[in-house]
Amino acid sequence: MTHSVDAAAVTAWLREFARLVAENKGLLTELDSAIGDADHGTNMDRGMTAVLAALDGEAGKSPAALLKRTGMTLVSTVGGASGPLYGTAFLRMAAAAGDADGLDAGSFAKVLRAGLDGVVARGKAEVGDKTMVDALTPAVDALDAALAGGQPLGEALPAAVRAAEQGREATIPLVARKGRASYLGERSAGHQDPGATSVTMLVAAAAKALGA
Amino acid sequence: MVVSHSRALARAAVALAAEMTQGQPVPIEIAAGLDETTTGTDAVAITTAIQAADRGDGVVVLMDLGSAVLSAELALDLLDDAARDRVVLCPAPLVEGLVAAVVTAAGGAGRKEVAGEAVGALAGKLAHLGGQQAPPPEGTGTDSDAEFVVRIPHGLHARPAARLVTQARGFDARVELRNGTTGSGWVPASSLSRVATLGVLPGHRVDVRASGPQAREAVDGILALAAADFGENEGEGDRSVPEPPARAEVGAGVPASPGIAVGPVRHAASAVPEIPGEPSRGAEQEHGRLEAATATVRDELRRLRAATAREVGEGHADIFDAHLLLLDDADLLDDVRARIDDGTPAPRAWADATERVAAEFDVLEDPYLRGRAFDVRDVGLQVLRTLLGAGAAAMPEAGVLVASELSPAEAAVLDPERAAGVLLAYGSPTSHGAILARTRGIPAVVGLGPAILEVPDGTPVALDGGTGEVVVAPADAVLTGFRERAAEQASRRDRAAARATAPAATRDGEALTVGANVGSVADARAAAGSGADLAGLVRTEFLFLDRDAAPDADEQEAVYRQIAEALGGRRLTLRTLDVGGDKPLRYLPAAAEANPFLGVRGIRHSLAHPRLLADQLLAFVRVAHDVPVSVMVPMVSTVAEVVDVRRMLDEAVARAGRGTPPGLRVGIMTEVPATALKTAALTPYVDFFSIGTNDLTQYALAAERGNAALAALADGLDPGVLRLIDAVCRGAGGRATVAVCGELASDEAAVPLLAGLGVRQLSVVPRMVPLVKDAIRATDLAAAAPVAARALDAPDAAAVRALIAR
Repeated sequence: MTHSVDAAAVTAWLREFARLVAENKGLLTELDSAIGDADHGTNMDRGMTAVLAALDGEAGKSPAALLKRTGMTLVSTVGGASGPLYGTAFLRMAAAAGDADGLDAGSFAKVLRAGLDGVVARGKAEVGDKTMVDALTPAVDALDAALAGGQPLGEALPAAVRAAEQGREATIPLVARKGRASYLGERSAGHQDPGATSVTMLVAAAAKALGA
Repeated sequence: MVVSHSRALARAAVALAAEMTQGQPVPIEIAAGLDETTTGTDAVAITTAIQAADRGDGVVVLMDLGSAVLSAELALDLLDDAARDRVVLCPAPLVEGLVAAVVTAAGGAGRKEVAGEAVGALAGKLAHLGGQQAPPPEGTGTDSDAEFVVRIPHGLHARPAARLVTQARGFDARVELRNGTTGSGWVPASSLSRVATLGVLPGHRVDVRASGPQAREAVDGILALAAADFGENEGEGDRSVPEPPARAEVGAGVPASPGIAVGPVRHAASAVPEIPGEPSRGAEQEHGRLEAATATVRDELRRLRAATAREVGEGHADIFDAHLLLLDDADLLDDVRARIDDGTPAPRAWADATERVAAEFDVLEDPYLRGRAFDVRDVGLQVLRTLLGAGAAAMPEAGVLVASELSPAEAAVLDPERAAGVLLAYGSPTSHGAILARTRGIPAVVGLGPAILEVPDGTPVALDGGTGEVVVAPADAVLTGFRERAAEQASRRDRAAARATAPAATRDGEALTVGANVGSVADARAAAGSGADLAGLVRTEFLFLDRDAAPDADEQEAVYRQIAEALGGRRLTLRTLDVGGDKPLRYLPAAAEANPFLGVRGIRHSLAHPRLLADQLLAFVRVAHDVPVSVMVPMVSTVAEVVDVRRMLDEAVARAGRGTPPGLRVGIMTEVPATALKTAALTPYVDFFSIGTNDLTQYALAAERGNAALAALADGLDPGVLRLIDAVCRGAGGRATVAVCGELASDEAAVPLLAGLGVRQLSVVPRMVPLVKDAIRATDLAAAAPVAARALDAPDAAAVRALIAR
């Protein structure tokens, strides 16, 4: 295996995700103001800022410990539905990572899929409901497919990002069936889903931090 | 335990449920909100609360919606297996479920039974509403039901009802209410008079139902308002107001709108509203209407009584005690009730019964008792108006309008053709009624005390709205004096109008510009006709209020161009949207604020809705390419806000794609005292400061301008306010223009004072432009500056007035 996703790599991933969220806080909130309660950017930024602070005290811990700490922090600081959803994702990822010091490409893909499964279980959403699942599912599928086709993580992750982006774009015409946006019915169509947007950033952050 | 987005909501729900189990407390834990005010849910906090609530026999968890459910589920994951097995996540509606759960738990039931009863709690409401309201189809979420219990002392009377109606109107939803205790019919929550007919008394339960896109938000908002007791507990009780200077009976009041008026007294209360010939809605409903009306009037009378006792003394307040007693008069009420039981609608029954009682007093020998007939008719009319949902009547006949005070709605119909002048027992010069009187050029004196209300209809009266002087039944010589002053003022006005379009400079040659305040295209025409040098304030709110969607940049641009055209090339000072929690936009529902005047308003509101602001700035920039435009930002409190707006303005310039418009200037309104004191730090970012003296005064003196009880406090000539204006002039140091666009600029007597402090632009209602220009021409700046400096050291506004009158 050419790559091993260790604690430093996971930290880099989370920092990059936090940076993307902070940079796009306005965009996320703006998307959420169209079909939700206009707090996704603020909430995620509050959560990831808290995660960065928490990670400072976790240097040298295992990937699982870092992911767990991230999940617990998000759960307590995000506030909106993305708190338990992202929180569950990271907690499930932590459980899937086990106590290994580093994850190979295949293990990392399994960790990411465990996160997806957590989100699906928690939110009871499926593809087409106009949620973060719409971007994360094709990303995880693409990652698995690329790795199965023999590509290294450095090439598989960009493929996952492209799949996430396509899934994200595909939320635009959808009518929301979950979450606050579902109260809007038909009027939720024509807007990009904020959750699908932020989770695409999570995958993009992985590609940048882990794919080099 | 309770999981909710809002700590306040959770606490209120728990308090409500706890009322059911006096003496047998059931342990209830709350995990709600990220902190006292941030909405959100926290799975870790839920875990902790579950552990605290679990005494070994398990926990039933009730949740509100959305993330509350997700976080509660996640919290279960975080518990150990044994603890988790003792927890039931209960899908019952929060309020009903909690009440049922607490009652059941208090009876010693186990967690499964408690949860079962909670889920069943909705059945009562479903059955109660019967066929009226099918349960919402699964998943659409377009309908909401809820209820609240009114705990405030007088029930859902006018003021809390008004807050409820305001809240309900803020959402894109059809909200209906009914009195669940009396079993009234449903009424629209958007109608104050209809809500008043619910007759909600303390302890009554009110049912809420809503449909439409924001049904849920609307219901949540109303529940939160109810949980906060409709804001009734704030500002009540002891209020230490300094004793105002003793005020004479009729003779001198507070000048509120300049000008002389002479005419017969016309009591606003003397018009009997027409009673429609509609049939009774049934005795029970009619009794309810009557109770609601008397409760409302009772509350109003108590308020007036308190204000009167405070302002003019206990002796003058007695009259209200008599009125209050009449509302509880058994003879009168028995008569009304009997008539209602005979099938008469409440308004007719009330009018006939009060007239019978008044007629009995009429024939008595004792003059004191005969005088009570007046009181009976007076109270009778107040209740009748309330019953009919009619505001105070419009003026019946031409003359001088006399009233307790004018609501903004009543003042809005003031007709200069009929109302020669206005005399108010209460009210302040900065109340909306006084401002409207000034706008329309109707002379007004306010704060005269209740004695003015006892002057018989038709009595001749003369008033000077510039000095506050009021003479009842004036002698011929006095009358002649008033008429001469009126003629002199008229000719002065004519002279001023003749040279209104010429620029105004002080006697020693300092030029000041005089602008007009504009709130519509018609105002802009009036401004141009008045000789204004520019539009010193264009209020853009009229474009945004009373509609279902915000105007886009194109629509705004078209209207601003119409205003520019009406102004014929004069500079427009376009103010960005100045709205807030006190007048929410339908399409941007805002959370209810305990104190909207200290809430998200002005630029705070615009920065919270950046797309709205971006569109408005784009429209400004497009217009600015063709006519000189100043962009004015209201309610600024920090440098950062100005920096943000300037950045967005730069973006708007880029979006418009034609470079920076040549005459574009940027300024802020100084309304916040802290902002006035930070002028030097703000100066690098602005071309001008425009002092909004109305808000600056109310913030500086902590006296809401509409509050009649504080009329004497909220005076723009208070030396504290003048010091803030002085701070702006010194902070700007000639690097930025200082303007005044509040009411103070319209006060001719204040013009030399403002000029002496360093103000170089005044913006006033269009009709005042000629007189303000003349006041500038009469000013000697070299003499005015030292007087202004002395005014800063004066002890109070009266002393300032005396100083500048010399």
